[in-house]
Amino acid sequence: MLPGVVGTIQATEAVKVLLGIGEPLVGRLLTYDALGMRFREVKLRRDPNCPLCGTSPTIKDLSIHMTGGAACEATPAGHAG
Amino acid sequence: MKTLKEMITEARQVVPEESPEQVQRRIKSREPLAVIDVRDPDEYRDGHIEGSTNISRGFLEFRVAGAVADPTTPVVLYCQTGLRSVLAAKVLKELGYQNVINLGGGYQKWAQSGLPTVRDMPLTADQIQRYSRHFLLNQVGEKGQRRLLRSKVLLIGAGGLGSATAFYLAAAGVGTLGVMDGDVVDITNLQRQILHTTADIGKPKVESATRTLKALNPDVNIIPLATRITVDNVMDIIKDYDLIVDGSDNFETRYLMNDACYLAGKTNIHGSIFQFEGMATVFAPNEGPCYRCLYPTPPPPGLVPS
Repeated sequence: MLPGVVGTIQATEAVKVLLGIGEPLVGRLLTYDALGMRFREVKLRRDPNCPLCGTSPTIKDLSIHMTGGAACEATPAGHAG
Repeated sequence: MKTLKEMITEARQVVPEESPEQVQRRIKSREPLAVIDVRDPDEYRDGHIEGSTNISRGFLEFRVAGAVADPTTPVVLYCQTGLRSVLAAKVLKELGYQNVINLGGGYQKWAQSGLPTVRDMPLTADQIQRYSRHFLLNQVGEKGQRRLLRSKVLLIGAGGLGSATAFYLAAAGVGTLGVMDGDVVDITNLQRQILHTTADIGKPKVESATRTLKALNPDVNIIPLATRITVDNVMDIIKDYDLIVDGSDNFETRYLMNDACYLAGKTNIHGSIFQFEGMATVFAPNEGPCYRCLYPTPPPPGLVPS
């Protein structure tokens, strides 16, 4: 059931962005705790040192993702789709 | 008595005019802006500027408040050649709209400049019924529905997250849905991946997804992509879509989607779950942070980001 909640939020956000209506979750991380049945919101800021979208980016193409790149050394058993 | 020429001259003195290119820049900047087409509905149907609202000159004073709530929002008015709209713009100024702009040369000059225009396809009788509840919502309406029908969304993953997203986007009438997943349906998927049924076990997920979504809404063009998203195919695939919804189940894909979407200037609707917790956010290039602003490098195994 949990993925249904999050997937439906994603669908809602998609429609909002497509139609240019409301306030999409840009710069906000919405978290959902199913056991406590709580939603929380964390403000997100752009990181000026971000290697991708910061002021002096080091990632300018996808070469970091070529075999064995540093983009993701580990694929931990974390969040599932 | 004033002549028409005098009235137009007077209006031009109080209403600034912008060229099609200047207006296009405003639209692209995605800053608050209302574009109102004051021509008659048949002229509008034949072709208009995307995102514009049609309020015929005769109804302008009555309906403008419904289209532009904030009097400080810049409002661009246009008609066919820029004359009707300059008179209309003067009225809006008198109503208290502070930032009214006339599109010089009107729609004609816009189209001649080679700038994009859209034409309304008539909705079928079935579509009018199917989406009638959307028409009742001010923020969607028939215009919003047409926009959804023209939209193209790519779903990364037809698993737990992608199932719910795909169901609702197809139901809502998003015209093109790319569904990308290289997996086949496994019995362990079925307690949460609601696109697929018991009879689908062993079949590609995109196959069952296509069948389910088509059955729900035959309007929607489903593009099944039975492969994993990789560094080699990602740029070529995402270029065809307006928006990406990432419902992937691993960090490698999330970083890849984040980087590719940022580089391609595509908004990425991110979601993930872990046990009883979930999260969602929207990565809009240059409007807000990206996934790497949150997690410059992959988090250690087992850590639940919050």
